[in-house]
Amino acid sequence: MSEVIVITSGKGGVGKTTTTANLGVGLAERGKKVVLIDTDTGLRNLDLLLGLENRIMYDLIDVTEGRVAYKKALVRHKKYDTLYLLPTSQVKDKMAVNEEQLITLCNELRKEFDYILIDCPAGIEQGFKTAIAAADRAIVVTMPEISAVRDADKIIGELGRADKEDIELIVNRIRPQMVRNGDMLDMDDIDEILSIKCIGQVPDDELVVTSTNRGEPVITNHNSLAGQAYRNIVGRICGEEIPFMEFLEDGFLVKLRRVFGW
Amino acid sequence: MSEDVMFKGSRVGLQLILNETANFDNIREQLKKKLESALNFFSEGTIIKVAANRLTQEQEAELSLLFKRYGITLQAVDFSRQKEISTKQEEIEIEIPGIRETTIINKTVRGGQEIICNGSVVVQGNVNPGAKIIAGGNIDIQGVCRGIVHAGAFGDSNAFVIADHMMAMQIRIAELIARAPDHIEKTKCTERAFIRDEMIVIEPVHRLGAG
Repeated sequence: MSEVIVITSGKGGVGKTTTTANLGVGLAERGKKVVLIDTDTGLRNLDLLLGLENRIMYDLIDVTEGRVAYKKALVRHKKYDTLYLLPTSQVKDKMAVNEEQLITLCNELRKEFDYILIDCPAGIEQGFKTAIAAADRAIVVTMPEISAVRDADKIIGELGRADKEDIELIVNRIRPQMVRNGDMLDMDDIDEILSIKCIGQVPDDELVVTSTNRGEPVITNHNSLAGQAYRNIVGRICGEEIPFMEFLEDGFLVKLRRVFGW
Repeated sequence: MSEDVMFKGSRVGLQLILNETANFDNIREQLKKKLESALNFFSEGTIIKVAANRLTQEQEAELSLLFKRYGITLQAVDFSRQKEISTKQEEIEIEIPGIRETTIINKTVRGGQEIICNGSVVVQGNVNPGAKIIAGGNIDIQGVCRGIVHAGAFGDSNAFVIADHMMAMQIRIAELIARAPDHIEKTKCTERAFIRDEMIVIEPVHRLGAG
């Protein structure tokens, strides 16, 4: 049974691409066959986060326009044999792919892969509509900030209109100290407004930035709290019941957790 | 792109307002988009009026057909001669408040979504910030109301809004508008907003059957 999951947010800069890269690596670490499709045509980034830019030969547009078979365009990850990237074009724009083309492509990919993750562009225009068309399941990424939550709300409405009912939430870049001081929305506020199932709470972590720049998703870093949060999300996607971690700043428990990696 | 088409509630009912200078192709395209985005939100059987002098007969027929697909009746009315319309028609207009149907919405109304109804609206869920509910009759929100609500949108100043937690950005009743304070705390009991002495007031109420 393969699944097509779109990762979307409405607002830019909340961590769609970072989330896609990390979930992809996490699923591959568990031995799943995974393909990541970048649909942010013209502003592609997913290849950078995975450190695969220099290996790109063909792109999504070459595939959808029938110039090459999809297998030729797939880029295999250097570390994980079961993780593939289908990059998009950096020169074309969002109009270069349409809904039907992506649905056809995903149906082809379903035969080969366990998980097909689609990295959606920001916004609610054509690029978004194309990206969600093929999805069985949607993950909405947001941040504890009112504009990000407002946009997530809008996106959930749009997904509903496109008959996507299986929608889950990841709250990214949480800063526990600010939440405690009441300077940031807390999970209850976000839950009350968005009222969809939350499958992840990821703390803001400097290691995300350093690992992004190195092209190695933070999920592989066992000293990172964000990495742990992503590993938990992967578990929940696979149907496991994992309790949410508590964010304790520099307490004894956190240090202990870092030592043991849980 | 500027908006060439607009739906507006007025005393005579829902009205379609067209930009005087826009060409018909633009109008048709924008209408299609609007209808698509408001899908399911105009309840079936809704009557929308349009000024008769704005359209040729062919154009009117074409739009009628378009609206029909969404279960909406388009009615060309000559507003300038409204008073001369036979008394029969006016009687019907007066009867409408008594037989207004209630639309029930069983989900969260999210930012950017609009619900427009001739009758009353009951929402079993939250109305989120950025959402808009426009009703000819009353509005009852069995959840948290953070959006914009307009009851009695076609002039009924006896209309009211009830919400379990009334935190609406704006409450509009008939021609009056009340804005939320800049800092609003979550309310603890069900409240009702209505017009008293030309002002919108909010008072706690008890729902029937609730504790």
